[in-house]
Amino acid sequence: MTYGTTGGTSGGGTGWHVSEEDLRAYARGGLPAPLLWSADTHLTACAHCRAVLADVSDPVALDGGWERLDAELDAPRPGFLESLLLRLGIADHTARLLAATPALRRSWLGAVTAVLLLTVAVTAGYGTGGSPTLFLALAPLLPLAGVALSYGPALDPTYEMAVVAPTHGFRLLMIRTVAALGAGLGLNGLATLALPGYGLRALTWLLPALALTATALALTARLGPVLAPSLVGGGWIALLLTADAARAGEEDPLAPFTAAGQGVSAAVTALAAALLVLLRDRFDLNSRSTP
Amino acid sequence: MTPTVSASGLSLRHGGTRALDDVSLRLSAGVTGLLGPNGAGKTTLLRVLATAVPADRGSFTVLGHDPGTSRGRQEVRRRLGYLPQTPGFHPDFTAFEFVDYVAILKELTDRAARHREVRGVLDEAGLGDVRGKRIRKLSGGMRQRVALAAALVGDPAFLVLDEPTVGLDPEQRMRFRELIARAGEGRTVLLSTHQTEDVAMLCHRVVVLADGTVRFDGTPAELTARAAGRVWSSDGRDPGAKAGWRTGLGTFRNVGDPPAGADLLEPTLEDGYLLTLDGAGAEVTA
Repeated sequence: MTYGTTGGTSGGGTGWHVSEEDLRAYARGGLPAPLLWSADTHLTACAHCRAVLADVSDPVALDGGWERLDAELDAPRPGFLESLLLRLGIADHTARLLAATPALRRSWLGAVTAVLLLTVAVTAGYGTGGSPTLFLALAPLLPLAGVALSYGPALDPTYEMAVVAPTHGFRLLMIRTVAALGAGLGLNGLATLALPGYGLRALTWLLPALALTATALALTARLGPVLAPSLVGGGWIALLLTADAARAGEEDPLAPFTAAGQGVSAAVTALAAALLVLLRDRFDLNSRSTP
Repeated sequence: MTPTVSASGLSLRHGGTRALDDVSLRLSAGVTGLLGPNGAGKTTLLRVLATAVPADRGSFTVLGHDPGTSRGRQEVRRRLGYLPQTPGFHPDFTAFEFVDYVAILKELTDRAARHREVRGVLDEAGLGDVRGKRIRKLSGGMRQRVALAAALVGDPAFLVLDEPTVGLDPEQRMRFRELIARAGEGRTVLLSTHQTEDVAMLCHRVVVLADGTVRFDGTPAELTARAAGRVWSSDGRDPGAKAGWRTGLGTFRNVGDPPAGADLLEPTLEDGYLLTLDGAGAEVTA
């Protein structure tokens, strides 16, 4: 933000002032967030800047500015997650939608981190000679669980209100999915860094994670947000058990973590994503069928 | 006058149960009460009209828009306020943050305009002083008012309230009724309840629903008039009465077909309601 000190005048004890250029933009309603919020906060405490603002504003626009300021004073300070998202440049309305996402709460992220730490410790304990199977089997399930916990009547207490709101259910689902998936994949990625001895093999969880999540979301449109991820998670475990029984030697990677398996995962991801887009209107109606 | 809501032949099955059976109604400005015993289909009808679930058969329009299409559904939702039977809250949100969250879902993305709207509806609901309090620290009555404030965001033309006074103590109920009465000015409000006092105090019109069908549609006075000459007092419960209960005076109030020479009483809305149900699940204490 282009702040400058003017003639050494203290601005309400802050020691700086909003530049005249920014005040003109503020008066026109053209100052973008988060500069706008800083200016709002500063103007409440600085008589000098308010006077400059009055000089550079037309009265009608100024009234709008005071109204905005008034509304700003009423707004409570955002919580930790919202503040973090705002600092990352996320729009304030999107940040608030994300703040209501169960899978982005510290308790969930903490639980995922604990599970990953444990898994990494066990995997590392086997040494680098074998395959990091336990980690690779578990890692795709965590983003899937995070996305499953982000939407639906069982876990979102305001689901019923959200369904009848004009914001498309699919848009809300996607906003939360991207955030929950980002958090899940990010934690998995950090855990992967703790297994450097396995090289790129330790990253073969990524495509299955995307495939499981996309498949669960596509099935959610038909089966609901509890049954669909449960079936997909169960299917993944069954697939791994089958692959384990079918592999030739203990040291061979399971089929989903081979090159062919990775290709299948990529194809499933693309197909499920396409199906999800086709079924997007189904997310505008309540998935809970009981009265 | 063009009705706000016009529904025709709405039917919906849940498993083997027929929750709604050929329900037709037209709603215009003012508060309409939807009365019925538990399991009558009130919540199902409200959820259908609020576009939360689609009906199996039949159609309806809200302000001329057909929610059967994606575009029509969105237009309806832009003019809709909905208070579910058990409104849920994000536990860490303050009252302001929660209503702000609902305002965002209602497409109010401009921060200043949205905050102005949120402050307005919280003041309207009498929550101006507690807007910064976490919802988990508010009483049940206050939470219900937060949910009503959220329903009022965006000045909806059609307000759907599902049993808003249930679980409130008498004083909270009275305050909530005042809020609903004010919210009903110039709007079309559909209020489901199983309390006849809610209807008597708030509604210009009442629809009685039982077993998924409309049993009565008219004014509260017309529903009361159904019991004219069919309510009488006796020292014991009259075996010929369709329903009867002991009053605070120790005598029994009976509704049904009175015996000759019975001591007839002035009917109430509740009497008319019980006679309208007539075997459809009315629960009375004898």
